[in-house]
Amino acid sequence: MSRPPRIWISTETPARGEIVRVRAQIVHPMETGFRTLADGLALPMDIVTRFRAFLDDDLLLEWLPETAVSQNPYIEFTFAALRSGALRMVWTDASGDFAEASKTLTLAAA
Amino acid sequence: MTFCFDMERRRLLTTAAALGAGLAAGFLPLAARAQISSIAAPQPDDAESDRIAAEFLQGAVPLPQGLALDLPALGDNPAAVPVRVHLTEPVDEALFCQELIVLAQRNPRPLICRFRFTPLTGAADVALRVRLMQSMGLRALARMSDGRFLEARADITVAAGGCGM
Repeated sequence: MSRPPRIWISTETPARGEIVRVRAQIVHPMETGFRTLADGLALPMDIVTRFRAFLDDDLLLEWLPETAVSQNPYIEFTFAALRSGALRMVWTDASGDFAEASKTLTLAAA
Repeated sequence: MTFCFDMERRRLLTTAAALGAGLAAGFLPLAARAQISSIAAPQPDDAESDRIAAEFLQGAVPLPQGLALDLPALGDNPAAVPVRVHLTEPVDEALFCQELIVLAQRNPRPLICRFRFTPLTGAADVALRVRLMQSMGLRALARMSDGRFLEARADITVAAGGCGM
């Protein structure tokens, strides 16, 4: 994928237990397989099938989009910051894991 | 006199604007519009959506509380309607949302997406953008770690149906 995902995070230095909000968007055609060309040939389905967010190697959230999710999928989620670590996000489609993004999270000293 | 002049000016402006819009719509996307069509057909009723919901619920009766499904009153762009689903009750490591599904009842494929959370997540608040085939009802169903199922419903009117999905 030529363009990297766009990531916004409410804070990179949260207090312990603070709810962190993350917004992420990736460039992807999300072709549903419903659209056809003039010759009646359907454009093959090509969608993001899975998005995962990890804190280091622990799974925070798994998202399984279907055809109704818009082109260039946007996802917003929250989690409670219980420890420091790397927030890692991975997008998967039929071609495999095609995009990855990461943000470092450091708990603010109490 | 000034009034008359203003009216004339306004009429000219709107004519020019309409012409401009007509030109843009007429010339630029015509080739693309002629080549690509869609075989997407909306669901005739809620049967398919109800079937997916029943599969998720596995016989349980969902509680109409604890979960919120936020939609705009009007979906002015049916290709990207903002949807937010969140729990209205607090969660912790002992009581959290395990799985969440969102359904668009009249879409060709009613299941929009599925979320899975873990005890580490500590929250269940998600937002995304969806494509809707027509005005319809949406449902969100959540399975909690204590075995309860929560449900939220909302209706939406979309400005133009058949976004081609």
